[in-house]
Amino acid sequence: MYGDHAFKLVQHAKRTQALVHLPHYQTELVRETTREVRDLDKDVSNILAPFEGSFNPSSEPATACSVLVNHLCMRRNKRCLLAYHRVRSDKLEEMCWSGKDILDQEQQAGRQGNGEGSGMASEAGNQSSLSPEEEEYIRQYGDMLAAYKGQWTDIDLTGSLEPPRDLFIDVRVLKDAGEIQTEYGAITLTKNSQFFVRQGDVERLIAQGYLQKLS
Amino acid sequence: MDIDDILAEVDSHAVPPATRDLQELTRAWVTERSAPEILPWPDMLMERILERLRRQIELVEEQTGNTDPKANFRLIIIQTELERFKFLVRSFLRARIAKIDAHALHHLTDPSTKARLSPSELQYATAHTSLLHAHYHSSFLSQFPTSLQRMDDTAGGISMVEGPDVDKAVFVRALKDVEEPVYVEGTDTAFDMRRGDVVVVRWSAVREVVMAGDAELI
Repeated sequence: MYGDHAFKLVQHAKRTQALVHLPHYQTELVRETTREVRDLDKDVSNILAPFEGSFNPSSEPATACSVLVNHLCMRRNKRCLLAYHRVRSDKLEEMCWSGKDILDQEQQAGRQGNGEGSGMASEAGNQSSLSPEEEEYIRQYGDMLAAYKGQWTDIDLTGSLEPPRDLFIDVRVLKDAGEIQTEYGAITLTKNSQFFVRQGDVERLIAQGYLQKLS
Repeated sequence: MDIDDILAEVDSHAVPPATRDLQELTRAWVTERSAPEILPWPDMLMERILERLRRQIELVEEQTGNTDPKANFRLIIIQTELERFKFLVRSFLRARIAKIDAHALHHLTDPSTKARLSPSELQYATAHTSLLHAHYHSSFLSQFPTSLQRMDDTAGGISMVEGPDVDKAVFVRALKDVEEPVYVEGTDTAFDMRRGDVVVVRWSAVREVVMAGDAELI
């Protein structure tokens, strides 16, 4: 059926919106959908070929109808593909803003998968959930974001979007994070210790999961 | 738009310029967050605020070595204030970026909305759209028939470029009596806005009033 692959893609996109992580890129579906578009385009030109450019829709309503359906299907497929990629790139951008290093994580996940799935085909094990194009995109987006952020160094654009209540907060250290420099001297963050520090100094570490904010 | 006149009417007693800037920033922030479309970049206001932020950061850095408890206490207050200001500016910028990203092509093609972006936002939007296009292109568009590769098709009478929904409902408070009654387009509803009135209405109906500074979004 026309549009089946595209519909599956949209369903994937819909599901992606509700997920925390990014599911695997549907390379196969994307390829099928683009192939369908190409086939439809070929069909259209085949149908129109005998008319040699002098096609009159009102004299041949049946042909006009099939051409129209083909056209609509192509456009629909395009929209679905765009929507699918947009949802994924939005998700990636969101991760970029929250300061996660996606490419690094992906590689780690790939390595882990490789180790565990040694019995399975190694190809499936180290497959990243991003397509190569997406990796390239996110690399460039990260650079661009850094450039834009650079103009607002005083503000720290990627900082917390919660209104600040207190200047100082209690934090607990979840993972060893080494020594950090603050205005009040250096603090060594060792696991399970607790500190009363300036929120601005440790925001990054909270976002990265090294520290936990205690309320 | 002469904001000073309006503010003078809103608050009859004189306000120091610093407080007024804060008020303006807060208002700009609230409006930006609730309005469906992007609003003009408050050039002068942002410049003043950034300048003050920079001065305060310098002050904090200078005073850090001071061990006098009194100075220390003052420093904490300044820093708290600084954090709040930073939050306002950050949230304001992020709200704008979110809108730009949602309708990037619309913002770049429509001259009136394009003029509302700040130079750096414009740069960001342009770079982001071209990145996205390159991404789409390498992912699947390049294998499409040429006639379908464009991103701004208008075939079938429907443009591919989507704009924000200007008919979204917003809450508006009138800051002063609006002389002309407000008409809601497409309906025969018209109403007067007196100072202090709060109404829920389509954004497109009150856009002019809000932009003129006669009303604020809440």
